[in-house]
Amino acid sequence: MSDVFGISLSALQAFQQALAVTSNNIANANTPGYDVETANLTAAVPQSYGQAAIGNGVDVASVSRAFSQTAENQLYSSQSSLGQLNALQTYSSQIDDIVGSTGGGLTTALRSYYGAWSTLASDPSSTASRQAVLSAAQGLAQSFQSTGSQLQNLSNNINTGIAADVNQINSIASSITSLNQQIVVGTAQAGGQAPNTLLDQRDQLVSNLSQLVGVTTTTDADGAMNVFVGNGQPLVLDGYTTQLTTVANPYNATQLEVSTSTDGTNTISGSITTGDLGGLLAARSQVVNPAINQVGQIALALQQNANSLQNSGLDANGNFGANLFSATGPTVSASSNNTDAATAAATITNVGALTADNYVLSYKAGAYSLTDATSGATVALTGAGTAANPLLAASVGLAIVVTPAVPAAGDSFLISPTSQAAGSFAVALTSTSQLAAAGAIVTAAADANTGTATISAGTVTNAANPNLLAAATIAFTSPTTYTINGGAANAYTSGGNIAADGWQVQISGTPATGDVFTVQGNVGGTGDNRNALAAAAAQSQGVLSNGTISVNAAVSGLITGVGSQAQQINTSQTAQTAVNTQAQSAVQSVSGVNLDTEAANLLQWQQAYQAAAQVISTGNSLFTYLLDSINGTYT
Amino acid sequence: MRVTDLSSQTQFLAAVQALQTNVSVTQNQLSSGLAFTDPSQDPVAAGEVNNLNTALSQSQQYQTNANAAQSSLGTEDNTLSQVETQLQNLRDLVLQANSGTNTAQNLSSLASQAVQIQSGLLALANTQDGNGQYIFAGYATQTQPFDQTATGATYAGNQGQQMVQIAAGQTVAVGDSGDAVFNQIKTGNGTFTVTAAAANTGTGVVGATTVADPAAYNGGTYAVTFGAGGTYNVTNAANAVVSTGTYTDGATIAFDGLQVTLSGTPAAGDAFTVAPSTNQSLFTSVQDIVNALQSPTGTATQSTQLGNSLSAGLNNLDQALSQIENVRAGVGGRVDTVTTALSVAGSQQTQLQSSIASLQGVDYATAITNLDSENTALTAALQAYTVTQGLTLFKYL
Repeated sequence: MSDVFGISLSALQAFQQALAVTSNNIANANTPGYDVETANLTAAVPQSYGQAAIGNGVDVASVSRAFSQTAENQLYSSQSSLGQLNALQTYSSQIDDIVGSTGGGLTTALRSYYGAWSTLASDPSSTASRQAVLSAAQGLAQSFQSTGSQLQNLSNNINTGIAADVNQINSIASSITSLNQQIVVGTAQAGGQAPNTLLDQRDQLVSNLSQLVGVTTTTDADGAMNVFVGNGQPLVLDGYTTQLTTVANPYNATQLEVSTSTDGTNTISGSITTGDLGGLLAARSQVVNPAINQVGQIALALQQNANSLQNSGLDANGNFGANLFSATGPTVSASSNNTDAATAAATITNVGALTADNYVLSYKAGAYSLTDATSGATVALTGAGTAANPLLAASVGLAIVVTPAVPAAGDSFLISPTSQAAGSFAVALTSTSQLAAAGAIVTAAADANTGTATISAGTVTNAANPNLLAAATIAFTSPTTYTINGGAANAYTSGGNIAADGWQVQISGTPATGDVFTVQGNVGGTGDNRNALAAAAAQSQGVLSNGTISVNAAVSGLITGVGSQAQQINTSQTAQTAVNTQAQSAVQSVSGVNLDTEAANLLQWQQAYQAAAQVISTGNSLFTYLLDSINGTYT
Repeated sequence: MRVTDLSSQTQFLAAVQALQTNVSVTQNQLSSGLAFTDPSQDPVAAGEVNNLNTALSQSQQYQTNANAAQSSLGTEDNTLSQVETQLQNLRDLVLQANSGTNTAQNLSSLASQAVQIQSGLLALANTQDGNGQYIFAGYATQTQPFDQTATGATYAGNQGQQMVQIAAGQTVAVGDSGDAVFNQIKTGNGTFTVTAAAANTGTGVVGATTVADPAAYNGGTYAVTFGAGGTYNVTNAANAVVSTGTYTDGATIAFDGLQVTLSGTPAAGDAFTVAPSTNQSLFTSVQDIVNALQSPTGTATQSTQLGNSLSAGLNNLDQALSQIENVRAGVGGRVDTVTTALSVAGSQQTQLQSSIASLQGVDYATAITNLDSENTALTAALQAYTVTQGLTLFKYL
């Protein structure tokens, strides 16, 4: 009889435990990272009765959690990709908003600016029209500045984000290390039984970590988990945590990089490509910095074009026009790894050849080399790097002077031709009279000319020529030859260029011997609008990309480029969200709690418990019956 | 596949969120009337719309410029028409003076009328526009271009010509320099002049002069010298005789493709010089006429000199009139160009606006249909959730 009670008791205990597991499942139905658990029952070792062996009840052999490392790994990887895209999307959509349909207000400001020049061209002596040009120029400068500073803010936000991510990664890594210890100890104490709750917690931490940075994991025989980031850099290994740190970029102290050592020698930014951290780094290099450079490139092209027009024309006081806009040109920063104090300076030789990329100048084995920091392509260099013979990178429109011209071997410099231009773009003129609306020279045919030749209005080819404004006489010594200021005779071709002293004119038609044409400074030319006309026409004039793209087209290109990038990132993010949902479902499908299943289990264990209790009741009846029978005999 | 409560919950929320985003985007489109507000929604169209907007603002600017050009050209034409009237008056006056029936008093009164016209012409040449800019000063619009002198007028402007952009790649001159209008006027008949020598004693007066054969005229200078009995010979610059003959009153002397008609009787030794035309200022020509009218006419020789001066003056006035007419014709042509540009700009703007609208404007029919279907989808998702939420075994325990 006693075996009936023993067996039933073991069943009652086992079913109670099974009911507890089910209750725990129901309780944790909504707990993140909880893996559904199952009480694994096993029949107790049977007792042998001679020929027959009768079962000895039931035992709970173990409580196991439903877990698939494959599904988890897939989830980690999809979370890392999604984390990266989320960070990218955050920044690309902000740039999308900043640039917007109006290029950060640039398009409207540009229209006002060129329109104001055109209005001035219609009435070049009007002070009001001059004021309108200056105001429009200021509006344009504000648009560049605000776009530049908004983009710069994004760059600062990225730094904050990187620092926050690194802190969180370190904190999670420490928690994993401490859970590892508990798991190793707990497993040993429970005789090899895994501490499911701790495992769930650790997996949840790794899952959280995978949102910040792409991870790979391995598990040791004792249950400890090793976590690696990037290209296998250990974060948690053999009970130790490697703390990540943020260090300044060797070329640019305002940009944070991720390193595994505090001295910055072991920078791993390049190998972190996924997770929120990877997304932030990518947003900086692929989204924010290129946008800053592109706006800067437009600013420099506009500045150069406007200033050269100003310089070649005359203002209302009859002086050569001063620079209209100022903007910081190329900046050069020496690497913090350089072993000497060599400095370098870069200037723009050809704004049309300028690109929106940054360049790295390195000095190795006695020779300079220049590489595109974005594409890694080598840029052809000529020259020696001295002030007299600077390094010329003609294909990208830069000249570089290094001091001393022979720096220490291994020195490198980062050249950012356009990164500062937009934020520093400003109007350099203060007075409306300084706007050069007039051309510098004026031409005339002498009234006494008897030929039918006419002279063009002339253009300035070199505003720096000291004799540009000096009166020059083109005299025809015969219908086919002419002299300039009494010099040597030149052959005349109708419509051909005649140039001297920084100017160029064309004479067309049939001149007569003795005909005289003059070229001289445009004295009192307050009604001359030629320079204003040229300034207005610059709107459709190609100034970027070797004179093929106008400023406005470049802004349109910026809008389309930024929009396309944001659109593409949005699309990828939407797709990755779906992939991630799938990965989550896959994990949930294995490890999640289904309440219907639990309800069924509850009923199952309840009924089993009732049955076992009924067995005890039956055993009790049998026992009572037996006792009663004995008692009855006795009495 | 095993579905768990947590995953169905998250999936439902994600789906509802996506649907709500769609509804909000469509709602935005409908309320703003724009198909996109961020470039990422349609990057290519966003860039294109910017280009079109710039083209539109340029076209509007060209329109403004063209209107300003029209007004400037109008001022110029108006001024030139007054110049023409004055010149016509002066011409009538010269014809009257040249009729040979005038007393010295008459001539003096005509002279003072001529002086009036002279100052009127000078004022017209110094016309300022509404902004106080001299319209015939070239680029030097703040310098008074013409100043009266004893022999005519000096010109202080230059030969600059203000251009205004009225369409892409099209500029039009909105003025002419005073030099081109008033100073570069050919003397004589436009090809050559005939001048009586100051020492002439006869009554020979130069009449009509024509170029009969332009190919035969080499642009040279000739001297027509009279001998006794009306004989004359014509010598060229190299002193070679090119023609000889005997002159009768009113006869035409022809040589090297030129024809010169004289009237009166030249005395022996009288000479006339035939020279190619040169540019002369209108004001010099007018001053010459005034001088001639003011000169004494007591003797036959003086009358002859007056006749010759007035005849030369008439020639010069005719040249001036034709010059002004030419300039006015040019101005009229430019006004036509501007008018055409204005009408082209108008239709271009309509075209650009409709292009912008088709790229940027929302298609209401599509948007409303979208909103409707998105709304339906959202409602269905919400209903499905409430239905499936009720499906749990616990309800039946």
